[in-house]
Amino acid sequence: MKMNAIEITDLRYRYPDGKDALAGVSFGVAGGECIGLIGPNGAGKSTVLLHLNGILPEKLDGDSAVRVFGDPLTAVSISNVRKTVGLLFQDPDDQLFCPTVFEDVAFGPRQFGLTDSEVGGRVGDSLAKVGLAGFENRQPHHLSQGEKRLVCLAGILACEPEVLVLDEPTSDLDPRARRELKALLQNIPATKIIATHDLEMVVELCSRVVVLDQGRVVAEGPTRELLSNETLMLEHGLEKPHILRHSHPH
Amino acid sequence: MHHDFLDKFSRHDSPIHRLSAPAKLTSAVLMVILTVLCPWSRYGFFIAAALLLMAVAALTRIPAAFLAKKLLLLEPIALGVAALSLLQPGGLHIFLFILIKSTICLFSMILLSGTTPFADILAVLKRVRVPAILVTTLALLYRYLFVLIDEAERMQRARECRSFDAKPTNAWRNLAAVAGQLFARSSERAERIYAAMCARGWK
Repeated sequence: MKMNAIEITDLRYRYPDGKDALAGVSFGVAGGECIGLIGPNGAGKSTVLLHLNGILPEKLDGDSAVRVFGDPLTAVSISNVRKTVGLLFQDPDDQLFCPTVFEDVAFGPRQFGLTDSEVGGRVGDSLAKVGLAGFENRQPHHLSQGEKRLVCLAGILACEPEVLVLDEPTSDLDPRARRELKALLQNIPATKIIATHDLEMVVELCSRVVVLDQGRVVAEGPTRELLSNETLMLEHGLEKPHILRHSHPH
Repeated sequence: MHHDFLDKFSRHDSPIHRLSAPAKLTSAVLMVILTVLCPWSRYGFFIAAALLLMAVAALTRIPAAFLAKKLLLLEPIALGVAALSLLQPGGLHIFLFILIKSTICLFSMILLSGTTPFADILAVLKRVRVPAILVTTLALLYRYLFVLIDEAERMQRARECRSFDAKPTNAWRNLAAVAGQLFARSSERAERIYAAMCARGWK
């Protein structure tokens, strides 16, 4: 059997205030696959994503619930995992912490100990990939929301991850920026996990979805099949997306 | 929202803007050190320094009103301390001495920040081996100042929209609430930023 890119087995997490966030989540993502992680607010989507990169749990001990390309996430493997798995945060202002766009995109590659010329090359390539060539000296607080989002993405692409984990990538974008981001994601060959309420995007990009509610996986399967199931969607605070209502254009 | 009061003119063009960042940082720091060390008897130095700074200011083509406003904004911090000297005998002399010295020092730094993008100053600091943790802290401070101001403005506006009583006590209470909220939000944001840094390999 082919090894999964990400394998989560019985992941449990309790917030420091004692509230249960995840009550045994299990699912796998094959290499090259793009899956959608959907569910109502507070279902635990973001919490799952933070585990994929070892940001959570606060302390890594013996048996990890997360395996990345077969390797369990441990205190030893963590720096490698962070190279393999790129995480796009929900609020671009949290992720753009450097004074210039160049510095920000260069942050990841520098942590991996690349030389200055290698870093420069990666920054140029990544910015070109997201269509922001020439933005190197701009300041993050002078960018539009869409541009901020793209710089964040470039900062992750510069680390050349094999798995891209995206938390609400389209939540605050205008339709054009959203369309452009979707096209961009479609052309990135990495394995992708997208947590979102943008169900239209899920239909367009993801072959499979995992539905999360109250810290549990309540359904898992092919996107069109699950999202067409109106009862299931409504039961978990979702809805059948508009593009699945009509088989013909209108 | 665009906030530019910090280094609004730092990306403009002038003979001074075109000088290299290390040269500008060195001369500004040198100016401050000399001013602080110079005794009152050599008052010729202060006149020369003031004339030099004014000449530089003219060359930068930054509006004088902008520079004056910044100076007035920063001066009370130095003068607050100096005012205490007025209480002792011969205090006026000391007060004037501090006033002149602090004005020259502040004006040097205002000219530096007005003609050099902050990122360039940080790059110089990094090159001369200022401890990395200090440079990172300064960089984060500069970056999130804008986010913080935006957040404060949004909160203040939201409060104003629902404040129907213009009594000054209410205004103060509102301000206190905004400050408290801002602190709570900032500490949460700091945690998210740290997570984002770790996610990209920060150790």
